[in-house]
Amino acid sequence: MTLPSDNKPAPDALKTQGMPQWAEQLIGQAIAVGISIIGGAVIILLVGESPLHVFATLLRGAFGSWERTAGSLLQATPIIIAGVAACVALRGGLFNIGVEGQLYMGGFAAAWVGFSFALPAGLHVLVAMAAAIVAGALWIALPAFFRARFGTNEVVSTILSNYVAVLITSYLTISVFKRPGGWSETEPIAPTAYLPQISDVSRLNIGLFIGIALAIGLHLFLTRTSAGYSVSAMGTNVKFAEYGGVSIRRNILVILLCSGAVGGLAGGVETLGVHHRFMEGFAPGFGFDGVIAALLANGSPIGVIGTALFFGALRAGSLLMEVETNASREVITVFQAFIILCVSAQILIRRRRDSTQGERRWKF
Amino acid sequence: MTFAIEMTGVTKRFGAVVANRNVSFGVRQGEIHALVGENGAGKTTLMNVLFGLVQPDEGTIRINGQTVVMDSPRRAIALGLGMVHQHFKLVPSLTVAENIFLGMEIVRGGLIDRKAQSEKTRQISAEFGLKVDPDRRVSELSVGIEQRVEILKVLARGAKIVILDEPTAVLTPQESRELFRILRRFADAGMTVIFISHHLSEVMEVSDTVTVLRDGAVVGTRPTRELNEDELVRMMVGRNVNFDRRPRKAISGRTVIELKEICARDARGVLALRDVNLTVRSGEIVGIVGVDGNGQTELAEVIAGLRAPSHGEIAVNGITIAESHPRAMREAGLAHVPADRLARGVDASASISANILMGRQYAQPWAGRGLIRWGRVREFARGLIKRFDIRARNEKTLVKTLSGGNMQKVVVAREFSRETPFLLVDQPTRGVDIGAMERIHDEIMLKRDQGAAILLISVQIDEVLALADRILVMFAGRISGEVDPEKTTEDEIGLLMAGGAERPRAAA
Repeated sequence: MTLPSDNKPAPDALKTQGMPQWAEQLIGQAIAVGISIIGGAVIILLVGESPLHVFATLLRGAFGSWERTAGSLLQATPIIIAGVAACVALRGGLFNIGVEGQLYMGGFAAAWVGFSFALPAGLHVLVAMAAAIVAGALWIALPAFFRARFGTNEVVSTILSNYVAVLITSYLTISVFKRPGGWSETEPIAPTAYLPQISDVSRLNIGLFIGIALAIGLHLFLTRTSAGYSVSAMGTNVKFAEYGGVSIRRNILVILLCSGAVGGLAGGVETLGVHHRFMEGFAPGFGFDGVIAALLANGSPIGVIGTALFFGALRAGSLLMEVETNASREVITVFQAFIILCVSAQILIRRRRDSTQGERRWKF
Repeated sequence: MTFAIEMTGVTKRFGAVVANRNVSFGVRQGEIHALVGENGAGKTTLMNVLFGLVQPDEGTIRINGQTVVMDSPRRAIALGLGMVHQHFKLVPSLTVAENIFLGMEIVRGGLIDRKAQSEKTRQISAEFGLKVDPDRRVSELSVGIEQRVEILKVLARGAKIVILDEPTAVLTPQESRELFRILRRFADAGMTVIFISHHLSEVMEVSDTVTVLRDGAVVGTRPTRELNEDELVRMMVGRNVNFDRRPRKAISGRTVIELKEICARDARGVLALRDVNLTVRSGEIVGIVGVDGNGQTELAEVIAGLRAPSHGEIAVNGITIAESHPRAMREAGLAHVPADRLARGVDASASISANILMGRQYAQPWAGRGLIRWGRVREFARGLIKRFDIRARNEKTLVKTLSGGNMQKVVVAREFSRETPFLLVDQPTRGVDIGAMERIHDEIMLKRDQGAAILLISVQIDEVLALADRILVMFAGRISGEVDPEKTTEDEIGLLMAGGAERPRAAA
């Protein structure tokens, strides 16, 4: 007749009060990662490998040398930027799961500027990145408009726009801008549009710093500025923000456009910094990884730097793992799947706990 | 004589907070036992312990003389206990009978036997004099009838001991009286009733015995007829509280806000406001009373800019507001204490200072050049915590950790500290203890005497009677009457609330 859980206070709700919120969250993420490692170990055992050997190889592949560490950072770069893109939306209470598509559009737009125009060094790369930003924003514009105007669920519309983006860029690459004699890739971009590399050992470029700067910038925006305060209030209690005079519809539009713009930049950085051309399927899953990194960081842009590095290291380490062990790269996918499960379970637990806490606090 | 319920030495801690401190408490069979105390006194925790929702750290529970371990609500129900929560837990899209038999459906041939459920519902409702239509959808019912369904749910599960948590908070005086008649009938039939309430007049009216809790401990258990309201208040708060009409200066202010022929539709598209005209002058408190669902919610939303009127206009200081938006209203000079503080009034997950900032995040001196000056915001919040007597460790305390009364003080502090000519105050003291209530009333009177125009919407008629200069009664989306608080009575208002000569529509 009654739902007991609705009224039952979480016994540890007050005990954890002494602990800072970020510490409490960190424990949650550690549990998610821990469960994923156990789940991954079981899968590895099933294919007849030693989990310890596989994990050691994975670790060595990710951080075994300066080159390998640089490789991990290189893989992490687009995930950081895509993660920041997802954070922008998450913190405003929205869910941009279309980062992958924005990343493809941004990557293509940047490459197009890179190979179609001759501009002075410095300016060229800036224009190309601007094009990536605009392309990303344009690609989310329709879902953003529908969400703001009609309340259309942005999760569905942004997911669907991913497929369109992947296929459009693929069409443009193969049928319109294909390099004669090449595979499904465009002309290379002019060296004036290259993002500067950090060192000669790897293709690691200043995109990493762009990502870190964006994360710190978003953090400062959310905690220090008036507009950022309005955005985070929308994210935690939209009715409260509305009541306080925040223009919800306009902000939904702006937040999603910004999220898409950053998503586009992630693709731009990848083409201008790493591939120096647009290739069909050039960035498999970076956008999705960014979304997961943002969820695992619970929407914290600073946290995204950490979670994106983790995913980047997994990607980089999996290359060596595949060479030296019988475990295939798909183990990493299984890993991420476990993390998604744990993260969403935690969201549910946290929601429930918050709501009961609210209700219990109503009065003793 | 044996007790139907006997709790001995019950202690319950939540971390550092002691919600119940060595509570011993007995309820005789066949009595109506009122459990009173301020917010945070431990009433609900005690009942949750009794109902198996919370496990006590110490203490024993005896039901009809038998010591029991109350480890789940299921056990409590099996032992004949039933709880009617303050917030109803009904499925709006199901019928009354379906709700009552939810989880214990009458099944025939693998299918739910709706007819038998309706029949059984009719039977129970006739037996206890709780009139309902078993086949109506819950979404079509008034709050008073919804509560009856909740009580029927408990009875259908064979409860002999019924616990009601603040049952009258959402009822009109007439509905409350009807409820009291039902409770008396239960007691006469040998059932035991525990009744949690803030309203002392009700406690005096309906209960046989009163137990007062303060700071988690029992102050005393006394037969009601040996007590009067003053004594009860003293037991609760350790001092006297004045509920009398507040003294005031005469007013002759100019019109601050004016509503002209406002019509508006509710969330379902039904016309909820019909040609509402009203004015509030400077230095005047206009009280709005009415049965829940007669347009007060929509009226508040229209004035707050949260709901666009379908017809009519609003003018503040003679200037018509062009756009229906909370920011437009706030810029025109509105401060607003919303009815539902948890849903709209606060960001529970944020600190007190972050909550105080809302609505000021673009304004000097709390912000400048797009940046928030957190140092000043915190300093301001510290001042408000002191001035409004908010019981919190400091301004960084998260709002969700505050008690209901202190949460409301945060809302009141934020809104009343704005230098605005017009205040919309909706249910300012709902679920708030007497100390906080008095504090909030003081602030409302202070604002009035400083010349603010105040629109006060409340389900608590005694509150409106104590504060308002004029009282408007709403019925079916219209202002059905205006009364002078100096001359009117609760009964006259109650009659107007029920539509006066028109038939009350609340009957099932």
